[in-house]
Amino acid sequence: MSYEVMVGNKATAVGCKLARVKVAAAFPITPQTTITEYLSEIYASGELPGFEFINVEGELSSQVVVQAAEAVGARSFTCTSGPGLLYMHHPMQETATKRLPLVMAVVHRSVKSMQPDHSDLMAQQWQGWLHLYVENAQEILDTIVMAYKIAEDKRIRLPVAVGYDGYVLSYTAEPVEIPAQEDVDAFLPPYKPMPSILPNEVDPKTFGRGWEEGDPMKPWQQHNQAALNGEVVIKEVFADWGKKFGRTYGNGMIEPYRVEGADCVITAMGTIAGTAMTAIDRLWADGKKVGLVKIRSYLPFPRKDFQEIAGGVGAIGVFDRSCQPGMWGPVYHQMRSTLYDEAKRTPIIGFIGGLSGKEVRVEDLMKIGEKTLKVAKGGKPEAPIQWV
Amino acid sequence: MIEIRLHGRGGQGAVTASRIIATAAYEEGKFSQAIPMYGTERRGAPLTAYVRIDEKRVRLRELVHHPDISICFDPLISLQQAVANDVKSGGKVLLNVPFGPEKSELAGNIEIATVDATGISLETLGRPITNTAMCGAFAKATGLVSLESVEKAIKKYFPGRLGEMNIAAVRKSYEKVSPWVEAKNKVAPKMTVDLNVGGYGTLQDVSSWRVFYPSIDEEKCIGCKTCWIFCPEAALEWKANNKPAMINIACKGCGVCANECPVKAIEMKRVAGT
Repeated sequence: MSYEVMVGNKATAVGCKLARVKVAAAFPITPQTTITEYLSEIYASGELPGFEFINVEGELSSQVVVQAAEAVGARSFTCTSGPGLLYMHHPMQETATKRLPLVMAVVHRSVKSMQPDHSDLMAQQWQGWLHLYVENAQEILDTIVMAYKIAEDKRIRLPVAVGYDGYVLSYTAEPVEIPAQEDVDAFLPPYKPMPSILPNEVDPKTFGRGWEEGDPMKPWQQHNQAALNGEVVIKEVFADWGKKFGRTYGNGMIEPYRVEGADCVITAMGTIAGTAMTAIDRLWADGKKVGLVKIRSYLPFPRKDFQEIAGGVGAIGVFDRSCQPGMWGPVYHQMRSTLYDEAKRTPIIGFIGGLSGKEVRVEDLMKIGEKTLKVAKGGKPEAPIQWV
Repeated sequence: MIEIRLHGRGGQGAVTASRIIATAAYEEGKFSQAIPMYGTERRGAPLTAYVRIDEKRVRLRELVHHPDISICFDPLISLQQAVANDVKSGGKVLLNVPFGPEKSELAGNIEIATVDATGISLETLGRPITNTAMCGAFAKATGLVSLESVEKAIKKYFPGRLGEMNIAAVRKSYEKVSPWVEAKNKVAPKMTVDLNVGGYGTLQDVSSWRVFYPSIDEEKCIGCKTCWIFCPEAALEWKANNKPAMINIACKGCGVCANECPVKAIEMKRVAGT
């Protein structure tokens, strides 16, 4: 184990090295991130034997190259940001359909500006991937390694996107603990491709669309079930990591902060959750019992966790760092759908903020906490969904 | 938690300095965080970066709005009140200027220390890249990190001979930095240039970036709008007489308009005082 003060993008590259990634393919120019620079340094240094780094002419190609690499049994990685991710939209669907356990880092950049919000990754939520959102550089490194274990689990076999905010995390330097290679090797076994994903499970020879015979909906059902299995597998993998490396992130799906004894909770994803912790501390110091639930896994959504939490609190304030015009925030909708069948009707208020990189400050999050608390105590929200 | 704001210009290494300070703090068993503020930067343009030092992992990720310490790497920016604005009451401001702190006009309930980092950098590195020299002054003046930790951190960022040269700059500035002196002016004049643009948004005013500005000869101008099309910052407006005019807050002084003008009606002229 060693330490280094490094930026978020370097933590990603070091995570890839520890996971013994065999192939990385990425478009090297804007909107690419400095992850590719660090990967190139790893390649040039020769410290990762057998590692190939392939420069391609666009994100469409980078996704297809790593698909092929994954299909033949090479643990693979790609990364992109904002408009690059939108350009990758089409082949992303194919990676999931072929059930290839790729891991991709998405450095959030808004679809409306160069600055961070979650609109880029949220635009991919129908692509059949698992989506994890992380908050700090240490969490990036740990999650990249864990993402491979989750993706390659037989119950999942799906690609995983690890999203983190551009600039405030991707370029921010902070101390990161680097686990020893042999410990990571013991945690993450080598990747074995699993072609047997066809319905009959008998020595299949093709990837993806091989269902000319039989029910064409079968692969959809399997895919959906695999994504839902994430709720179990993610928790297992994170618990295992916590045991081996001594660092935990809640249960992997969510990371609660001062939820015990709280009258209400607010939720946040990514870097906003880190800042929200300071807001929560100040609210408690004022005698305002507001908890925080950091959502780590957006897909699958932590349904069971929130069904439990909702029973114990008077209201939930949901922070969305993206907005689907005409539908408001996606996390807000997930939350409402999650809790609709619960016997106890917990009020849910939506807050949309941090769009196009607008800074979300501690005071903003304190206000969100106070507004949620007011509703928990029987007050009426000014509006069901509010702009921050 | 100690919060630090760094002011510099693109090319002076303020972002690297923020990482050196964060690394040095970590060398001493503290947790740290170095956030650069990125916009459409370029060499010579004013920029800011931030550092936090704490006993536990820093998870707060808003920018630093009320620093305990403000450091300025540039001798001209060091003269601007923006460097001292929003510093906490009783806070500290460390400037790169060739004169003592008692001569600084910066105002506020602050203490000021100065060091001639440009002079030291020219002497030790042969160029006016002041980041490492300022790190040495920072170590001595604040006592937050030791000289040894700064040197260790510098070796990580600049291996080999470059590291040795930078360490020489650090040692010199560690010796030369002035003691803290209370600012003689308590009330700040009205701020003219906002260097500390809060938030990761589009910079509203880049007028302070200009060393050259486009001077338009309306006699020569044929009103073809080529300059208007090519301006990368949409910093030209079109007047009723079918001639262009510079938008003061938007022009960075890149000179693309002058280069593209087919009749050479635009001349880039030096901004007075730069």
